[in-house]
Amino acid sequence: MENLLAKSPETRTLPNGPATATPVLRLTDIEKIYQTKTIETVALNRVNMTINRGEFVSIMGPSGCGKSTLLSLMGLLDEPTSGTIEIDGRAVQSFSDRELAGLRNLKIGFVFQSYHLINDLAVLDNVELPLLYRSGMSGKERRQRALNALDKVGLSARTTHFPSQLSGGQRQRVAIARALVGGPEIILADEPTGNLDSVMGEEIMALLLDLNRNEGTTIVMVTHDEQQARKTQRLIRLFDGSQVG
Amino acid sequence: MLRHLFTLIWNRKRANALLIAEIFFAFVVLFVLGSLLVDSYRRYTMPLGYQYEQVWYVAMDPGNEPAARQDATFLRVIRSLKALPGVRSVSTTLYNTPFSFSDSSGDIKVNGRNANCDRYAGGDDMADVLQLQLAEGRWFDRRDDAATRKPVVISSETRAALFPAGPALGQIITSTNTTDGEMQVVGVLATTYRSRGEFQKPKPAYFRRSQPLLADADTTHLDKPLLLVRVQPTATAELEQRMTKEIAAVSGGWKAAVTTLPEERTIRMKFALAPMGAMGLVGLFLIINVALGLFGVLWQTINQRRAEIGVRRAMGATAGRISAQILGETLVVTTFGLGLGLVVAAQFPLLGVMDMKTGVYLTAMLLATGLIYALTTLCALYPSRLAAGIHPAVALREE
Repeated sequence: MENLLAKSPETRTLPNGPATATPVLRLTDIEKIYQTKTIETVALNRVNMTINRGEFVSIMGPSGCGKSTLLSLMGLLDEPTSGTIEIDGRAVQSFSDRELAGLRNLKIGFVFQSYHLINDLAVLDNVELPLLYRSGMSGKERRQRALNALDKVGLSARTTHFPSQLSGGQRQRVAIARALVGGPEIILADEPTGNLDSVMGEEIMALLLDLNRNEGTTIVMVTHDEQQARKTQRLIRLFDGSQVG
Repeated sequence: MLRHLFTLIWNRKRANALLIAEIFFAFVVLFVLGSLLVDSYRRYTMPLGYQYEQVWYVAMDPGNEPAARQDATFLRVIRSLKALPGVRSVSTTLYNTPFSFSDSSGDIKVNGRNANCDRYAGGDDMADVLQLQLAEGRWFDRRDDAATRKPVVISSETRAALFPAGPALGQIITSTNTTDGEMQVVGVLATTYRSRGEFQKPKPAYFRRSQPLLADADTTHLDKPLLLVRVQPTATAELEQRMTKEIAAVSGGWKAAVTTLPEERTIRMKFALAPMGAMGLVGLFLIINVALGLFGVLWQTINQRRAEIGVRRAMGATAGRISAQILGETLVVTTFGLGLGLVVAAQFPLLGVMDMKTGVYLTAMLLATGLIYALTTLCALYPSRLAAGIHPAVALREE
């Protein structure tokens, strides 16, 4: 583990007050093994890490080292072969599909390298998507929240556009708005600048940094870009499924 | 969520157009087939207007007997058959007996009204032989021997068509059939009369009096002398043999063939049910075809939308919600197709396309709609379960 900032996460100052190192996500002895009839592949080997509230952490490593697997486990999209994942101090291994879906919806926002927007839905409808799975919210409130999220990423003028009418950078902004709209505690970003040129990549990185610094959003970002990683507070390196730094 | 589904389907209308078209055409075909079948069932449950059980049909061949003597012989045959134990009543008849494949018709005109009618002829005992029920007036009897005008009994449809409000008894009606000419109504049947069996569409009908050796006789229309005989419920094949022998003995050599009306009905039923079976088969093939098409399209759609399903799972959708989404989308697409189909189907009663009652069309619409919804739900169940089983982490990594 490499701390790229002068202050450690434990002593860092959060936007809304003095620093308190509150773990929001904790992984303990995580192993992930993919097994076929003939081959057993160890994707993650005894990974331990704690992500504190308000941190911006980047994960780096060569292709196939388990970065995306780790992000999937953090996002509760996959289950570890062994080990425990805790969110806000609660171990989730015994959670049902419904409870895990609820946690994803309320606490986690996802940003993907290839945006994963639904091409047949307009920008506003795409951003509203997470709120559709939240019970008791009116259509009007959903719409207002989506408009606010789009405003934050500077795309309030593109609400009726479809993803195919937007540039790569704009699409990723929409994806970030979609990740933000539910007010999650953590944003998990899987190579968010990977499909963008350097200028657009910088724009997206600036947006994520802004969210972290000004909104206090916890961000975990998988990246191949050393420069981008250096802008985050902490860097975790993986190699062959193990933490190496 | 419903708005989301409609938005999604509307935005994908091009991609869904073929599916919507398939559902639309399937609905229209099922609606037409359904209308025919519902109308057939409705006719099947309607009264025939007569009782065919214990009624035998006797067709005779006078051979080389001179025509001038045939009436007298025919009368002797009738009297001898009536005297046979086991025979209840005997009536002469025209060739279009119940369940036969023969028709006779004529247009009746009265007071500016016109009705195309099936025409029948029967003797004085026909009301008893076929258990015909009269709502007004009487059946033919000896009082008609001295009538100045030919007596006629009309069916309930004829009465409704020609005398919708006023009295029918005693009215003079004129047939375009030259044999019948002017006739006076002496009776009105309580119901319809459908000689062509259960699947015949109700049609106006009238009965002429037919008695051999009377001035009003209608035997000139007979290629062969024909009789309808009501027998006792205990009658067996032995009576049939006795009748054949009796006819030969009394007539001096006439040959007779005896069948029962239930046998005639069975033959008629086969002819009526064969096209319905074919229609049913066509409908079944169509349903299988549509089901396979739907299943294939949905399967392909799920495979194309794996990443989207992964995103939805990441955003907080449970496996059940994904399953419900696919099912819901299918039902929305079905609703679009059915909506178009119902617009077309609604034209049938408005324009009287198949000349059926509005209730028949409405029932067929309901049946076809229910069947299509059931079919699409069934076809969407497995693909929707497949979609629910897609592992989000894998689906999101695939692109």
